[in-house]
Amino acid sequence: MLRGKAAVWLVRCPDCGEKERELDGDGSRWLAAFLARGKEVPGTETLFKQTTSTCPTCLALVTADVVIRDGKVFFRKTCATCGPSQALVSEDAAYYVKAYEFARAGTEPLNFPLKAEHGCPTDCGTCSDHEQHTCLPIVEITDHCNLECPICIVNNQYSTHVSLDDFQRIVDLMVKNEGRMESLALSGGEPTSHPKILEIIDIATRDEIGRVVVITNGLRLGKDRAFAKALKEKGAYVGLQLDGFTADTHEKIRGRDLCKEKAAALAILEEFDIPTQVIFVATRGVNEHQIGQVVDLFLEKDFIVSLNFQPAAFTGFGGGKFAHDPMDRLTIPGIVKAVEEQTAGRLAMKDFFPLPCSHPQCVSLTYILKLNDGSCVPFPRFIDFALARNQNLLRSSATLPASAEVQDAMQDIIHDVFANEDTIPRAKEILAALRRSLDVMFPPHAVTEREKIRIGERQAKSIFLHAYMDRHDFDLERLRKCCHHYPQTDGRVMPACGFNMFHRGAAQGPDTPRAPFGKGPFGKGPGKSLPVIA
Amino acid sequence: MAGRLEGRLALVTGGSRGLGAAVAIRFAREGADVAFNYLSAKKDAETALGVLRETGRKAWAFQADVSDRTAVQSMVKALEKEAGRPVDILVNNAGHGQVVPLALMEEEDWDRMMDTHVKGAFLATQACLRGMVKQKRGRIVNMSSLAGVKMMQAPVHYAAAKAALKGFTEALAKEVGRYGITVNCLAPGILEEGVSRNLPQARMDEYLRHCALGRTGRFEEVAEVAAFLACDANSYMNGATVIVDGAV
Repeated sequence: MLRGKAAVWLVRCPDCGEKERELDGDGSRWLAAFLARGKEVPGTETLFKQTTSTCPTCLALVTADVVIRDGKVFFRKTCATCGPSQALVSEDAAYYVKAYEFARAGTEPLNFPLKAEHGCPTDCGTCSDHEQHTCLPIVEITDHCNLECPICIVNNQYSTHVSLDDFQRIVDLMVKNEGRMESLALSGGEPTSHPKILEIIDIATRDEIGRVVVITNGLRLGKDRAFAKALKEKGAYVGLQLDGFTADTHEKIRGRDLCKEKAAALAILEEFDIPTQVIFVATRGVNEHQIGQVVDLFLEKDFIVSLNFQPAAFTGFGGGKFAHDPMDRLTIPGIVKAVEEQTAGRLAMKDFFPLPCSHPQCVSLTYILKLNDGSCVPFPRFIDFALARNQNLLRSSATLPASAEVQDAMQDIIHDVFANEDTIPRAKEILAALRRSLDVMFPPHAVTEREKIRIGERQAKSIFLHAYMDRHDFDLERLRKCCHHYPQTDGRVMPACGFNMFHRGAAQGPDTPRAPFGKGPFGKGPGKSLPVIA
Repeated sequence: MAGRLEGRLALVTGGSRGLGAAVAIRFAREGADVAFNYLSAKKDAETALGVLRETGRKAWAFQADVSDRTAVQSMVKALEKEAGRPVDILVNNAGHGQVVPLALMEEEDWDRMMDTHVKGAFLATQACLRGMVKQKRGRIVNMSSLAGVKMMQAPVHYAAAKAALKGFTEALAKEVGRYGITVNCLAPGILEEGVSRNLPQARMDEYLRHCALGRTGRFEEVAEVAAFLACDANSYMNGATVIVDGAV
């Protein structure tokens, strides 16, 4: 783990919790030596590192050897109770090792709700040991849903719609913790089943929050025109689940054929030009062959500003029981490879980079510049993200906002492309598009923060790949750096994968007992919880 | 002893005569290969070229109007092809004087002054910047004037154009400093062979009365400072305007 310029060694004792020890020397030297250990010797198994994972059977925290074999990365674990197990963690060892080059110390929030006593994940909510602030708060405003997805990663109880007062307190808390937030996501359950969803959006629509994103299966959108119109009028964004284009993929992942409903949702989003993020949960043997098709749709449609691939995590009400092979599953490099193969190289492996601010194994992304003729060029085709100064652009944001940081980065890019015009394909068109972007993103008059985001998102699109964890590939090191958090009504702010794994009590399906230290959603679970926020 | 500009390629705009020629010759004597452009003074250009070549360095002269984008780009492209390397040092020196009060100033007078001094500097810099950014090194020297930084009895359009070069220098220094490129500005006072030749004696006397050194400057004295600004020894002066006026 990096903190400032130093490398810190994390040790987890089953009895005493986590301990930290700062390593001698500067972090960059330590990192170089660490990366060198990731070189695979052909025909052998290489031990790259150790981390803390979970026993896939009893969910106890166990030490995992992270080994490289046949160009892939596996966890090797032994549970004192259940015995040994293995799990595939990455289909591309070279990517996995190189991703650590992008590791960067986290940014703490203005305020941590809890003090660390026993360490991660026991004190969760978040405690002062957590390494990263909240980039994206995901507020589960209801546990009601109009689908029962076989891949569902939560554990809906059909019991609660969050009240407007509770939601107001959550938003106030997040603003107190973070100051400003680029996005706040409304999730569930199915958030559009909340009877006061529009009032909820109104509460979240404030200067400190750049966008309010409704994460939805799109069923209501497709048949409720007035609702779609209201979303547009309120300036809300939509995160639309779209995992395929055929009846069989929908049936396997979402429980029934949703082709018509998804088409209707897409049509109305396009009609109202509601900025949309498409979310594609990719599952081995089910829908991986339709990855190229969703990329084509994303590139073709202006209203789709970003595309988010999520390799299926086998946790939650449905996901915990979903048929899978932990030794043969889709991981981030596998999806990127499919993107390259199924788009005839329009997008390629080399276009994707780990997101430095989260844990580098959690998210990979690329930005795509819209040229003046409507075609697209991925940013890595004309800038080198391996250079530290360009990594400011690799941010946990679906688009490039018109910020001072982005303006600086764009100046660098423009100079680089200008100087290398003779070697960069389509350099003149790229420069023309960057000029257009500069003109609209940084106009001579003042614009609000929300306007900056809206202007920026029409200049460049993004593809994110976000790997949520399950009992097979859980990595405590990643959880500590998690920046996608579920704020709770009692004041806790729960990092997503820790909440899904230990606190919901659904890591292996709905009957999974909650961990002894688990603190359930809506402040109702057993174990220690905070007083409800005053 | 190796010169301070050994192995460098310099371009001096308006280098066929006057201060531009003095800077070009000084650079060549410091070891640089030197190119310059001229607008119409072909004979002066041939003379300057001869002097430059006598130093043993490579030298080129281009007929090009600095306010013509195509001409400037072609010149830099041809020079870099000839020299086989990017321009390391650019001196934006091209300019002209014109004594005319504002009341009688034509729009064409204004435009021509701005085009030569300011647009010319912009176009030449843009053309040379590509190579400088690529090699992460460069030196740009803009020739302003005391009239651009102090209140002087000078034509308004001339003073405005020279003042613009100071702003150009400062903004550009900020913008390209990250590529190891320094941008500085020179503001000479009255020089022996420059505008002083056309200055009424009373004005000249007034200038000399206020000048601590009590004399006009020489081209070589300004060229010496330009050579310092262009060499590697100047590693930290950036965005500066250096006044070379004997303390007026």
